[in-house]
Amino acid sequence: MDILTLLHRNIKWRFHNAFTIVITILQPMLWLVLYSAVAGQSMKGIGIANYTAFVLPGLIVLVSFGACSSSGIMNYLMKADGSFYRILIAPFKRSSIVLGQVLEAVVCTFIEVIIMCIVSLFFSVNIATGFKGILLIALLVFLTAFFISGLTYAISLCLPNEVMYETVMNAIVLPIFFLSTALFPADGLSGGLKITVNLNPFTHVINVLRDLILQGDIVFQDVSFVILLLIGMCGISFSWAFHRLKKETAL
Amino acid sequence: MTAICVNELVKKYKSGVQALDGLTLTVKEGEIFSLLGQNGAGKSTLINVLTTYLSPTSGNVTMFGKDAYREAAEIRSKISCVAQRTSIDTHLSLTENMMFQSKLYKVPKSEAIKRMEMLISCFGLEKYLKYPVFSYSGGVKRRLDIALNLMSNPKVLFLDEPTVGMDIQSRMAMWDMVKKIRNDFGTTIFLTTHYLEEADELSDTICIMKNGKEVIQGSPNSLRAYLRQDMLKISFSEKKEAEKCFDTLKGTIALKESDLRHDKIITSLKSGRSDLEKTTRLLLEHSLPFLGIEIIQPTLEDVFISLTSDNGKEAS
Repeated sequence: MDILTLLHRNIKWRFHNAFTIVITILQPMLWLVLYSAVAGQSMKGIGIANYTAFVLPGLIVLVSFGACSSSGIMNYLMKADGSFYRILIAPFKRSSIVLGQVLEAVVCTFIEVIIMCIVSLFFSVNIATGFKGILLIALLVFLTAFFISGLTYAISLCLPNEVMYETVMNAIVLPIFFLSTALFPADGLSGGLKITVNLNPFTHVINVLRDLILQGDIVFQDVSFVILLLIGMCGISFSWAFHRLKKETAL
Repeated sequence: MTAICVNELVKKYKSGVQALDGLTLTVKEGEIFSLLGQNGAGKSTLINVLTTYLSPTSGNVTMFGKDAYREAAEIRSKISCVAQRTSIDTHLSLTENMMFQSKLYKVPKSEAIKRMEMLISCFGLEKYLKYPVFSYSGGVKRRLDIALNLMSNPKVLFLDEPTVGMDIQSRMAMWDMVKKIRNDFGTTIFLTTHYLEEADELSDTICIMKNGKEVIQGSPNSLRAYLRQDMLKISFSEKKEAEKCFDTLKGTIALKESDLRHDKIITSLKSGRSDLEKTTRLLLEHSLPFLGIEIIQPTLEDVFISLTSDNGKEAS
């Protein structure tokens, strides 16, 4: 109930500041519409028939980062207008406060992912694994957004202002995006670059999402591994966010 | 019955700043308690500890018999705090803000609606219902902030410098509101201020603090000698002249060493206007070069100097 109260209020904030949805989806949408159309021509040469479908999983991760990063910004705004303090002295569990905000970012991510999926339909993107695949994609998107949102929540409480926060988030998001299989297959990679890309957990998330979109069969071993990986990561990011919030009152 | 009991409270921030240094005070249920102190005296830190936002370094805080740190969850449902800066969600409407506050404190919906209507009427907010909250003036926002903090019917309402930056009319309106809250709702009010007249006007009990500890606590009547006493101020062009005159005046009006303050002599008037006349005559007779002489109301600094020199209590 506590979580729903905060979630409802945070969603209202999001729709009141609807430009945060537009801004965070703008870049992934440009990648989806323009980049996939341009790069798609040359990718046909290496056996990728529908590059828009190929690039969509990476853009789902990118849009998650965008939506969840703006959730961290909310902490700075709440501190500036005093509501952060008001909520902290209310009879609310600290875990509910974190969850209320993290779940709002998850909701925002889902809205943006759904918009992207609808747009990608116009580029002949289909989910090859059908309804089961859609459910698994939804679960993976949920866990990915939950992890990132917990991370951004904790980072926003570690850094003193929005400018620092934005700088750090840019420094995190772009390397993670480019050092993954978001834009190209990892088959041709070798040496240190291959190891780095494989160490990036989002490589595995993107690969499984891609398989669910492009391949007809669900490889449960791969899917289970990624789900367990994400659950572990969610646990770590939530614990860190919770710990940071508790530290706010331990000055 | 005691609402708040603070005993030997110490708060030292991790940065090394010691904001509270063994503070002890008691607040009775249903009273308006004013904490008077200059900027940096530790007032806001004390509010932060009492509202369970910060944990104390040492000492005890009990509210209604419960430990404010160990039983914070229970305390939080009984208190509410209007911070120095308004804390209204500008993306929510007036009624949404109030209902959100009621949900934060788990007030049943039907009860919350009744209370909201009563508070809107009580605080004269009806005419602002149709406008967005971000368009409200500072005074209306402050009224809304107080009203929404009363949604949970708190036993103790903390007001952190509620009139800072307000013009005199708004301050007087705020004073009326504070009295109304206490009288109509029976709420214990704990407010901080650095205005002497505000504490004098509003309070049942006043505690004056400096450098993180209490200097004195009592009713406005018992502190009348410090709060309402006229002061005589003689200004000089430089410190040397003030010192020279100080020695001459010492024999005529009872001066203490602490009355000499750089290029001024400021002392409490013992015999009202006759002291003023006597001093002026003496200054003129001895052709002592002074810039001006006047009767003034004591400032907080004057009260501190008076208290520390009278009681031997020093907070440096």
